[in-house]
Amino acid sequence: MTVRRVAITGMGIVSPLGNTAHDFFTNLMAGKSGIRHLQTDFVDRLDTKIAAQADFDPLQHFSKHKANSLDRVSQFALYAAGQAITDARLDLSQEDKSRIGIYLGTGMGGAASVEEGYIRLYRDGAERLKPFTVLMAMNNAAASAIALEYGLTGSNLTFSTACSSSSVSIGEAFQQVRHGYADVMLAGGAEALLTFGTIKAWEALRALASEDPADPGASCKPFAGNRTGLVLGEGAAIVVLEDMERAIARGATIHAELTGYGSGNDSSHITQPSPEGQARAIQAALHCAGLAPQDIGYINAHGTATPLNDPAETAAIKLVFGEHAPNIPVSSTKSMHGHLMGATAAVEFVACVMALKHQALPPTINLHQPDPKCDLDYIPNVGRPNTAVKHVMSNSFAFGGTSGVLIASKP
Amino acid sequence: MDTFETLRDIVADKFERDPATITPEATLEELEIDSLDTFDIIFSAEEKFGIKVPNDQVEIKTVQDVVTLIDRLRTEQGKA
Repeated sequence: MTVRRVAITGMGIVSPLGNTAHDFFTNLMAGKSGIRHLQTDFVDRLDTKIAAQADFDPLQHFSKHKANSLDRVSQFALYAAGQAITDARLDLSQEDKSRIGIYLGTGMGGAASVEEGYIRLYRDGAERLKPFTVLMAMNNAAASAIALEYGLTGSNLTFSTACSSSSVSIGEAFQQVRHGYADVMLAGGAEALLTFGTIKAWEALRALASEDPADPGASCKPFAGNRTGLVLGEGAAIVVLEDMERAIARGATIHAELTGYGSGNDSSHITQPSPEGQARAIQAALHCAGLAPQDIGYINAHGTATPLNDPAETAAIKLVFGEHAPNIPVSSTKSMHGHLMGATAAVEFVACVMALKHQALPPTINLHQPDPKCDLDYIPNVGRPNTAVKHVMSNSFAFGGTSGVLIASKP
Repeated sequence: MDTFETLRDIVADKFERDPATITPEATLEELEIDSLDTFDIIFSAEEKFGIKVPNDQVEIKTVQDVVTLIDRLRTEQGKA
C-alpha cells in the first residue's frame, strides 16, 4: 500500500505562555512559567489556587454577538485555527473545501457553558436556560465553529480520550491525509475547563499540585522527587497537515513532516498508567515512521508531575529505547504551560515542531531534587539551543488508558 | 418601560447595531437576525419584562411582531 507523506505547514496556538507559536516557544526555551494564581471570583473557595490561564480577550478577536454565542473553548479553537490557516498561507477561495477536514480533541468541551446553565438552574432557580446552551456546550462545538467560519466541508470529528485527545485527533487526521481521504486537515485540540466545578472535581481526585510556597510558578515539578501533581491549564493548538507533494508544489513553508503515530489502550486501570501499554503505543509510532529507537533525538514527555505518571513513563521509555534511553533528551514542558487536558498534546506537539524547526530543546523546569525512579536526561531547568535533532516524539497518556504518540521529522 | 425602546436596546446591544436602524417595521431578516438569534432576543426580553414566552409561539417577521407579542404577554401575565 503506498501512502502519502504528510507535511505540517501551519500552526496556531492559544496558551498560558503566549498566543503565537513563536512567543510560546521563546518562553519555553527561556524556562518561563505560565502558572500563577488563578484570576477568578471563586478562587477563595479552592484548595488549589494556581492554574495556567491563557491571556485571551475574546472581544479583541470576535464581535460581541459571536463571542456570546461561543464557549471559551470554541473561541480558543477558532482563533488558533485562523492563525494556522494564515501561517500555512492557504488561500481557501482557491481550494476544494470538501478535501479539507477538521479533527479536534477536547476533554470537557464547553465546560463553562454547562456549568453556567447549572448555576442558573440549581442555584438561581431559573426557569429557562440561555437558548445557545446546547450549542455552546456540545463537545463538537469547536470543530463545527471552524467548519462554519471557513466553509470547510471535509470530515469533521471530535475526539475525547481525556489527556490524549489531541494526540489522537492529530494522529487520526494524519491518517486521513496519508491515505488520501483528505488533502489538508486542520488538527489539534482545545480546552477551557478552569471552572469552579471542574477544578473542584480535580481537587477531589487529589491529582493537583500543591502550591510552591516560595514561587507559585514553580508548583509543577515533573520527574522531581518533590513533585506533588499536575497544574490545570487552558488553551488550544491547531496544526495544518497537508499532502507533502501538494505542499511542495504550492511552495508552502514546511515546518516539519509528521511521520509517526501510535495509539492503543492500557486496558489495565482507569487512572494508573501501564508502562507496557505506553511502550506499545511508542513502538507503534516508531513502526509507523519506519524509525529505530536511537533515531529519536528528543521526547516531549507526557510528564504530568503526578506521583504515578513520571516513573511509569520513564519505565515505558526504557522498555522501548533500552540502552539508548539515557542518551535521549526528554522534557516535560507541562512544568511551564501546565496540563491543558484535551489541548495539551496539541500544544506539546507545537513545542516539538518548533524544537525541530529551531534545533532547540525546551527544558523541564523545577527539577532540582531528583527521584531515583526517574533517572533519564530530562533537560533539567535549562533549555538546549543549537542541538541537532532529526526526529522528535510527543507522548500523551490519559485517564481511561488511551495513549497517543506522535513523531515529527525534519523535512 | 416602553416595549419597543427596550427591545431596540436589547437588539442594538447584542448585535452592536446602530439603534436608528432598528425600526418597528424592520424585518428580522433585514436585520440579519436568524431564528436562533430570535430565541436569544426573546430570552433576554423574558428576563427584562419578567414574562414567560410559551414555546409554541406565533410566527415572527418584524420587530413590531415581537413588540406585539411581548405586550400581549405582559398584559396576560400581569407584568405590564
